[in-house]
Amino acid sequence: MEKLKLLSLYGDFRKDLAYIEKELERSLNSSSPIIRQASLHLLRAGGKRIRPIFVILSSKFGNYSLEDVAKVAVSLELVHMASLVHDDVIDDSDMRRGLETVRARWDNRIAMYTGDFIFSRALTSIGEIEIPAVHQLLAETMLEICKGEVIQIDHQRKTNQTIRDYLRRIKRKTALLLSSSCELGALVSGADPANVKKLRRFGYFAGMAFQIVDDILDITSTDEELGKPAGSDLLNGHLTLPILYIKDDVNFQPYMKRSFDGTLTESDREEMLTYIRGTEAIQMAQAVSDLYLQKAMDEISALPDGDANAKKAFMQISAFIGRRKY
Amino acid sequence: METQKIKLHIENYIGEVEKAISEPIVDRDVGRITIDPVKAFILLLPMLNGERWNNRFHTASIAVGAVHAAFDAHDSINVYDATSKQQQLTVLSGDYFSGIHYRLLASLPEFGFIRSLSETIGQINETKTIFHDQLPDGPENLIETVRIIEAGCITDFLYTFGFAQYVPLASAALSLLWFDEGSADCNSILDKRSRRTMNAADANHAIFQLHAEMQMALEAADYLQPFLQRKIRNLVTPLIGKLN
Repeated sequence: MEKLKLLSLYGDFRKDLAYIEKELERSLNSSSPIIRQASLHLLRAGGKRIRPIFVILSSKFGNYSLEDVAKVAVSLELVHMASLVHDDVIDDSDMRRGLETVRARWDNRIAMYTGDFIFSRALTSIGEIEIPAVHQLLAETMLEICKGEVIQIDHQRKTNQTIRDYLRRIKRKTALLLSSSCELGALVSGADPANVKKLRRFGYFAGMAFQIVDDILDITSTDEELGKPAGSDLLNGHLTLPILYIKDDVNFQPYMKRSFDGTLTESDREEMLTYIRGTEAIQMAQAVSDLYLQKAMDEISALPDGDANAKKAFMQISAFIGRRKY
Repeated sequence: METQKIKLHIENYIGEVEKAISEPIVDRDVGRITIDPVKAFILLLPMLNGERWNNRFHTASIAVGAVHAAFDAHDSINVYDATSKQQQLTVLSGDYFSGIHYRLLASLPEFGFIRSLSETIGQINETKTIFHDQLPDGPENLIETVRIIEAGCITDFLYTFGFAQYVPLASAALSLLWFDEGSADCNSILDKRSRRTMNAADANHAIFQLHAEMQMALEAADYLQPFLQRKIRNLVTPLIGKLN
């Protein structure tokens, strides 16, 4: 339902998105039956396709060429997909988007090779674009994402981290790829440098809001809505914004301790989630997300009216990001 | 004298790859990944042979080293449990090394090599997946599989940068050396990735075939300085000795 709502916001751009979807499927064709199955399994599990739509919309502020836009959009979505396959190995996850993960269906090694294969296809796709700045930006983005994940592992189960640490981490983990999606879309269409900057900043602010909401949903949604166990972040030792707000709460601390040492039972988990939902942590985190969202909207408002539909779509998608339920 | 010079070049190269892929948290918790000096020797063969070697080639060769480091990291992931901090960081280090290879090529920028190397990396992962699932059937398939996985990136580098004449030699040597790493006594060949034992008859047949290929490549390599020819012969001789 929520996904349908989002797709309806893509409105005028759905045809272009459908073309990109086909290109995604084509790029994942493989001589290895396992990789083919694993990649298509992932692709068909769906996703919000936020990165491709941001590339499309940003390209509308320059000279739009669907062929070039698709190469960039496919590449970014594949980088995202490859990182999810490897993240599931790191987190030992069995389910994603309600489907078995590659590592659960096959094994860790197949997941590593599948992720690497998808990553290689991302470079094959963007390799067709001979603009040095495009490659330099994507390479830096990928490295920053990795560094963010390395820091996340290093921070696992460390309760002395600050909100600043968290914000720095999600900047790398999520906001950068959305920011780069906007910047790359603008760069590939030769948009005016001032607009490239506004779009980059929009992507960054929207990305921060997106990840904070994602972290809230990990607590407020049901297992069915998430397609994985609610509270997974904490069970994996990741302290997200709502958790950072209540980590010093003496009633919450025993749950956190049991989450970290693996002794939290199923009923404890339910109890813990109910407890967090009853505190102010969720509203406080939502307020931070709203601040980022407002900044994102401000950047979009400052863009020229050249493509009114793109501006409108950016606004609507941003509003959805802030209030989404999945 | 020449041996010392080769050693120095290889050590310098390995040092530069290690520096390029260094990441403080990974270095602290996982340790530095080892770059295979034999692979480095084969990759640098044109330079060691006195071919024109500019900064572009040098940077691209470091990018290939980063790709091999990424492969080694991901090949070391436990099939069923990668939940220790060390394994989690190893997954990420492989991704990080891949990113480094791309950044190096983007800095040149070397679009053609970005495209061809990504195709090769894709093919290597497809082949590894097939190999992980099922052992190659017969010596020809075994050779082809090993050739793609072990020599794919280096031969791609040699083709792209105008050193195609080195390809037959590099391809045969790198494939043969894989058998050397996997074999204790040639009664069995163990694949380090899948932990599977090959059919010894297929493996021995493949080694003989690759050795013949290597001999032919060496005979045709009149462009190669004698000390390099000797070095290559010495590299593969122990394996042939085991078969005799």
